[in-house]
Amino acid sequence: MPSAESPPATRGRPFREGLLALDPPRLLGSRCAGCGATAFPARAFCPACRTGVVEPAELSTSGRVHSFTVVRQAPPGTEVPYTLAWVDLPADEVRLMAQVVGVAPEAVELDMPVDLELTTFGTADDGTELVGFRFRATVAVAA
Amino acid sequence: MSLAPAHVAGVGMVRFGKYPADVMLEAMALGAAREALADAGADLAAVDGLYVGHVFGGPVAGQRIAAQLGLDGRPVSNHENYCASGATAIREAWVALAAGLHDVALVIGVEKMTDRVAGGVRPDPGDLDAAVGYVMAAGHAMSARRYLADHGATREQIAAVAVKNHAHSVHNPWAQYRKPISLEQVLGARPIAEPLGLLDCSPISDGAAAVVLCTPAGLRRLGLGSTGPRVLGVGLVSGTVQTGLGDLNAEDVSRRAGEEAWRLSGVGPDDIDLVEMHDCFTIAEIVRMEGLGLVPHGRGAAWAAEGVTALGGRLPVNPSGGLLSRGHPVGATGAAQVCELTWQLRGTAGGRQVDGARAALAYCKGGTVNGTDGGSVTTVVMTA
Ligand SMILES: [Zn+2]
Repeated sequence: MPSAESPPATRGRPFREGLLALDPPRLLGSRCAGCGATAFPARAFCPACRTGVVEPAELSTSGRVHSFTVVRQAPPGTEVPYTLAWVDLPADEVRLMAQVVGVAPEAVELDMPVDLELTTFGTADDGTELVGFRFRATVAVAA
Repeated sequence: MSLAPAHVAGVGMVRFGKYPADVMLEAMALGAAREALADAGADLAAVDGLYVGHVFGGPVAGQRIAAQLGLDGRPVSNHENYCASGATAIREAWVALAAGLHDVALVIGVEKMTDRVAGGVRPDPGDLDAAVGYVMAAGHAMSARRYLADHGATREQIAAVAVKNHAHSVHNPWAQYRKPISLEQVLGARPIAEPLGLLDCSPISDGAAAVVLCTPAGLRRLGLGSTGPRVLGVGLVSGTVQTGLGDLNAEDVSRRAGEEAWRLSGVGPDDIDLVEMHDCFTIAEIVRMEGLGLVPHGRGAAWAAEGVTALGGRLPVNPSGGLLSRGHPVGATGAAQVCELTWQLRGTAGGRQVDGARAALAYCKGGTVNGTDGGSVTTVVMTA
């Protein structure tokens, strides 16, 4: 489980295969050649039209906060508080769930712009860093 | 009506709450089962099959229960749909009765949580949402924040759901909490996932509830002359993969579950006199009632604050006190809702009775799956 204080990831491997690219940092989804709908994570079918052929797609790194909460209580082993959000990627019309950092919990606002950032999601059995994702407030605000 | 209804011959519960660690899951299940069998006037010999809903009970919990209850040797099945597990077990029993497989089925929903779950529940570790820090309270908190922004609703209106349901629970001897609470208490409670606080959340609970379901031949076997309440149908849907940037509270999964309920039962939304709604969180009662089409979109919070969904109001929701007050031993909740519907439709619910209740709906939503609008949703429709 990542905490807000964990540093941005610089090396390692994606914590789930096919979920993201490291350099440059990108989330990997799928896009329907038929209707254009984009899905994240990538799926083998188009959830929108159910008929189109889907192709891999790199997602936009620019998002905005559609909704959010500050988690104050979680099961043992998870450090609180942290900010969890529904982040919209307008360019891809994708909504995904992610933690938001770089902004104090009380300063998060709806529609706040955020950017993709890779972060550690732990360490594999072989010692390799496992890389996950979060979003960082675009405009510098007090964290 | 697509399948024959199931007659409810008997129901029973053990009071929900926090039990000592040495009170076993099996013992709670036995307690509820014996209450239901006694209510039905049924001997164990009359029972053809056992359907058990649970989440954290471990492998073959149903068979462990059967071996202690005296139903060993019968067909026993375990049903896991997270918080809709008990209702899913009821659906499977209803289908088996309608198919002619059994004439008398015993359904038990049971959960022992307080000694194995702490700090809230989250998805399976294999689900992507769990990896980014999702806990159930967080999802409902984000739903609530969006609801406030989109509908001009107030935090006080959402909190009114907890005040209402706790007021109902005063009259429910099976409820974990039976004390009224004030709006100020809800608003001032410790924050869990903002804007939701402790009293917006259902508790982690232990408990069991049981239902004896019959065909007409089963009723004759039990020597029951009057038929009593019937389960007309149990809808079951799962969430769909979402695309686009639409309404976070669209509750399409609830809409589809409602359509299944009306299709299977032949009852329409206008016929429903009361609802037992899966209020695992205050906001959840609001958006799910709207999704079912029983409350206009965006009006659920106001309706709660105005008393429309309170006992004595136009459409009472959670006369039992709901999950917020009765408690939420997850696998037991769906069966407990059917117990409450049965008492309401018999007219024996005492101080929480909905006057003239003839038709009622029970809704459970179980689990979350990354990228979808839910895990499972069940809708039980019953008539007197
Ligand atoms: Zn498509």
